[in-house]
Amino acid sequence: MGLNRFSVCAAVLMLSALHPAFADDEDSQEPAARWKQLQESIFPKREVLDSGGIITVDAPPRALDAALVPVELHMNSPVKGVYLIIDDNPAPMAAHIVFGPKADARDLKLRVRVNAYTNIHAIAETSDGKLHAATKFVKAAGGCSAPAGSDDAAALADMGRMKLRLLGDFNADKPMQAQLMIRHPNFNGMQMNQITRMYTPARFIRTIDATYDGAQVFHMDADISLATDPVITFGFVPHEKGQMKVVAQDSSDTQFDRSFDVPGAG
Amino acid sequence: MKALLALLLIAAAITEPKGFWTGPVNDPVPATLQGGKVIHTEALSALLRQLKPVVVDVSDSPHRPENLPATTTWLPVPHPGIPGAIWIPGAGLGVPPANVEQFYKERLAKATGNDLTRTLVVYCHEKCWLSWNGAKRAIGYGYRNVYWYPDGIEGWRKAKLPTQVLQPEG
Repeated sequence: MGLNRFSVCAAVLMLSALHPAFADDEDSQEPAARWKQLQESIFPKREVLDSGGIITVDAPPRALDAALVPVELHMNSPVKGVYLIIDDNPAPMAAHIVFGPKADARDLKLRVRVNAYTNIHAIAETSDGKLHAATKFVKAAGGCSAPAGSDDAAALADMGRMKLRLLGDFNADKPMQAQLMIRHPNFNGMQMNQITRMYTPARFIRTIDATYDGAQVFHMDADISLATDPVITFGFVPHEKGQMKVVAQDSSDTQFDRSFDVPGAG
Repeated sequence: MKALLALLLIAAAITEPKGFWTGPVNDPVPATLQGGKVIHTEALSALLRQLKPVVVDVSDSPHRPENLPATTTWLPVPHPGIPGAIWIPGAGLGVPPANVEQFYKERLAKATGNDLTRTLVVYCHEKCWLSWNGAKRAIGYGYRNVYWYPDGIEGWRKAKLPTQVLQPEG
């Protein structure tokens, strides 16, 4: 390039200043059309209602890392389960969580990959089977093809290691939050190995089951939009003493499990 | 006038690389393509009506993993393109995989009826080197009437011209 980078940037800035962002009518219709397409595909013949305050979704409006976008779901009344959908990802369904009797289903956090500027939809299913949707627009791009890490082999060697961290104070029979971390590259099949120039085959966590003293806390069906090294923050109601068991299975049918004393080891 | 000046500044700034561009795909592009012609929206719209060129979109497409389980809903966002365009993802990479390059060459031959004088138009997005590379590659195959459309689908849509959802080939 003949001119230095600064001058080029300055020129681009000048241009942008002279041409205010163009409002394209089609662009405002596209997200709605996409959401309609997704609804018909994911919830065929079912009505998806407004959130009605039952669920809210939060995410940084502009994500620092498109491959690790934190998403928080807040449920303000009892729900059976939640779906998390990243509208413009090629595989939009990131996760479906069903809460069990031991869950405190008010707050849930996880991390997803975002491929393009997109709406994120969080859908709560109430006990009457109705679906309620909340939405949030996120500016992030490139999360699906971003390399998972510098070393595929090392990521696979460490796969399945788990940690459980209790958040806040422990009080028997009072709801509390816990953060589950599972080491897994969660290869989505869209990432190119930078050396071989070949796509790393998909291999990702498909299900996670958390039980507390044998009673279900949550069951999660996950897909390739879930970020590398899944981190899930969830609520549950502990006794004086108990055990949290986590079983995860990946798309290669490898099972990982671990039990944690609660309160106790992390 | 200031805008024109800024444009000229950018044009002057980016010189053509000797070979294919292997740097960041979304980066300022040069104003020229040796051996080809540069075309902008209005002229392209007219050219499409008059010369019925072969139009090639070399934008990226999300790679569908081969081993995706049946439970995964694979539903990429529809890809709007210039009506009638052939979408060949990867054909504009600096170093495309051998099978993609082979496909590009054969697909162009088929679309032009092996006529190296047929008019070709290559595009992707604005500020995107894929189309520059793709057009340069076509010139390398011997095509003599290659147009590069650097405004990309964004420029096309800003002019409110019609689009059509394309399916990737190759």
